[in-house]
Amino acid sequence: MTTAVATATPRRLLPHLSRKAAANAWHKRTLYLFLLPFAALTAIFGLWPIGQSIYLSFTESYTALSPQPVFVGLENFREILSNPDFLDSLWRTLLFTFVSVVLNVLVALALAVMLSQPILERGRTLFKLAIFLPVITPDVAGFIVWKWMFNQDFGVVNAVLHGLGLPAFPGVTEPVSAFATLTIVELWHHVGLYTLIFLTNLQLLDRDLDEAARIDGATRWQRFRYVTLPQLRPAIIINSVYALIEFLKTFTVIVVITRGGPNFSTNFVSYFAYTKFGNAQYGEAMAMATVLFAAVAVLAAALVWAMSRGDYR
Amino acid sequence: MSGPARKKPSAASRLAIRIIAYAAAIAISIFFVYPFYWMIVNSFRTQEAVLSRPLALLPEQFDFAAYETIASIGGVSLTTYLTNSLLITAVATALGVSIMAMGAYALYRSPKLPLFGTVRNTFLVAIMYPNMLLVIPLYFVVYYLGLLQSQAGNYVGIVLSISIVPLVFILFLQFFRNIPSELLDAAVMDGATEWQIFRRIVLPLAKPVVLTACLIAVLLNWKQWFQILVISTSPDTYTLPVALLSLNTEYGVNFQATMALATLTCVPVIIVFILTQRRVMSGFLAGAVKG
Repeated sequence: MTTAVATATPRRLLPHLSRKAAANAWHKRTLYLFLLPFAALTAIFGLWPIGQSIYLSFTESYTALSPQPVFVGLENFREILSNPDFLDSLWRTLLFTFVSVVLNVLVALALAVMLSQPILERGRTLFKLAIFLPVITPDVAGFIVWKWMFNQDFGVVNAVLHGLGLPAFPGVTEPVSAFATLTIVELWHHVGLYTLIFLTNLQLLDRDLDEAARIDGATRWQRFRYVTLPQLRPAIIINSVYALIEFLKTFTVIVVITRGGPNFSTNFVSYFAYTKFGNAQYGEAMAMATVLFAAVAVLAAALVWAMSRGDYR
Repeated sequence: MSGPARKKPSAASRLAIRIIAYAAAIAISIFFVYPFYWMIVNSFRTQEAVLSRPLALLPEQFDFAAYETIASIGGVSLTTYLTNSLLITAVATALGVSIMAMGAYALYRSPKLPLFGTVRNTFLVAIMYPNMLLVIPLYFVVYYLGLLQSQAGNYVGIVLSISIVPLVFILFLQFFRNIPSELLDAAVMDGATEWQIFRRIVLPLAKPVVLTACLIAVLLNWKQWFQILVISTSPDTYTLPVALLSLNTEYGVNFQATMALATLTCVPVIIVFILTQRRVMSGFLAGAVKG
């Protein structure tokens, strides 16, 4: 650090404007060089595929990969939007997303409030470690293990239910329970990150406010509702938006556990598009991708807007 | 429980609350950790043993048959998958972290330069785009780049396509934002070049964040599967998670072998995470706080 300054000092003795301008241009050139590799990778592996998929969504499937693809305008979009299977898939995706976002944010909040209690001081690091572990372990492996835990023959889940004298859980063999299975497994995989974000925000809270409310006679619930919760607003917004984007894109868990079944009950848009792609229906697959992308962008923006509006009331 | 007039709870009831709180926390922790435990234990148990006692906490006897079965999967040896995982993770991490550190630094240093805003916005759109739907057209991109013809090309395509990790890039942006600009301005006044400033002032300051970035990139690159599956023209470039997935989709799945391979895929990550948990969790937080 000091050497850099020392070797460069003589330049200060040459305060010519031209020298300055040259230095300025070089300065910019260096920064462009710094950014270039990142910009190139973002363009090649981000922008190009997105452009490619939007472009393909306007072409006839069987010509999509030929040198001269035939443009069909909005035909692919008209096709998928008039396909009851797609509308069904879109509806299921939105329902799954809604249920998962609400559930994950509530569970994460509850877990964080619990872990922030002084009474649990001692084991807190261990509990945090346990809850966060599924976030960083390979999702494919975690989902495969859950698939077997819900299995009717090997299953731990039904063994436990049986031991407690409860009826068996049909797991992925029936539509509604398959939907529930994915909800549980996805919660297991993602809730740790949201919990960690809430927990950190809870530990940064202004304790004086809580103390003042306690002295004024507020109950535990009143203090949580009117003192803690408003201060957590930014964390609630961040978690909701992350969860929204995450769950709209739900894919890996379907590939591993249900493959869209049974009876297409978990055939969410991303997986549907993937199977269309497998059947060489590129135009339709990419139209679905574009619709899903639009949903992600619009819903995320709407959620941010709706939640931050409250600040000005 | 209501109001300031409540009595101080007695020692006995405080102990009861304590016990209930710990019981709840332990039960919840078990929900998150048990699948890993079940996976490891059952990788050492025969299928028959699991069928008769699915909840056994310890193997009746250690049976290593599954680990012998997976020595070769789909005609490719386990060491190939393991080497691929290590190699791809290491190279993608080293390359990606360098590229992201320099890129994020440039964006922080002069956000208003022409095209810089465009790069930032492109990146933000790309991370919002559903990943698996970006991977499908990625196949065409890799095809146009001529990376599907050879195994070396496959490796290059895989490494380049996974090396940008959004969370890590945001982590760097967050970090640079906190460097006092007076420090860099002073160096500029003294005539230091941008390269000198980066090399001699910024990088030494950034050492801890680079370490965190590497750890997170290793953990996240290790679990990648879709890009690798799509780009690979043969199982020779598969990593452990991809091999695990192909084992999962095979007919007549071997339960014990699946658990053994899942164990090999998870255990390295679990060990790294436990050793570095504080750093990893704080990195996730810093990268997640502002998207």
